[in-house]
Amino acid sequence: MDEKAVDEKVLEEKKLEAFRIGAGVLILLAIMTIGEFWIGAVASAWWAPLLAIAVLKAFFVMRDYMHLSRLFAPEEAEE
Amino acid sequence: MTTVTTALAEYRRRLATNRLGLWLFILSDSFVFGGLYISRFYLLGTQGRPDVNQFVGFVVTLVLLISSFFMNRAETAMAHGDRKTFLRGTLTTLILGLVFLIGVLGVEWQIAPFGPGDGTAASLFYTMTGFHAFHVLTGLIFLAVVYRNGRKGLYSPERHWAVEAAAVYWHFIDVVWIFYYPALYLIGRPPI
Repeated sequence: MDEKAVDEKVLEEKKLEAFRIGAGVLILLAIMTIGEFWIGAVASAWWAPLLAIAVLKAFFVMRDYMHLSRLFAPEEAEE
Repeated sequence: MTTVTTALAEYRRRLATNRLGLWLFILSDSFVFGGLYISRFYLLGTQGRPDVNQFVGFVVTLVLLISSFFMNRAETAMAHGDRKTFLRGTLTTLILGLVFLIGVLGVEWQIAPFGPGDGTAASLFYTMTGFHAFHVLTGLIFLAVVYRNGRKGLYSPERHWAVEAAAVYWHFIDVVWIFYYPALYLIGRPPI
């Protein structure tokens, strides 16, 4: 296998990995949103778990979609 | 070759500054959203909420979350040089963002059994959703510009700061709604 083919294979693997992370986070967010809806419908007074779920959802979006860690990465390093 | 390397190094140095600037903007914007969020709990407590349609809120929330997934897909596609997926992802995000906007302004605002002047809960609802919708609208304009430039081939895996900025801004809008959704639609009971 020549160098170009290896590079393309690595790039494809990286793309697939990024897709897997994105899809995994979406599934998690969807499950938590359904859970929120259920809690809100049956027990609207449970504000603490609803806020906890919101914090957890925000954490996943900020870590995996907004890539907050990039802010603290060295200037030369790029994904 | 050296000129290209120097230009790329300079671009990456500026990228770090740009990122810091964007996050500072997001932080400052968060204070406004946060102020409205705290007002909701200060004025209504955890027992009261506006008399809104919970199902509409649930659907628009899912739409916004799915749009974030497609925006993330578009951004990572551009970072890996996949222009076709980038354009498709950006366009899908645009459409879903528009659906969210129609869901809130065109459906929820129209079917709500109260107006902006009908009490504290009503005022808070229209202020919070209106301010958020304005950000969604600016995000959509930003995405439209990025999509247009993307079609012209102005971005590359090495240089696509505008795409990253649009994606981060879009996800920020999503994060705000993640907190607003339970505060407006789920916590507390509507007045009888």
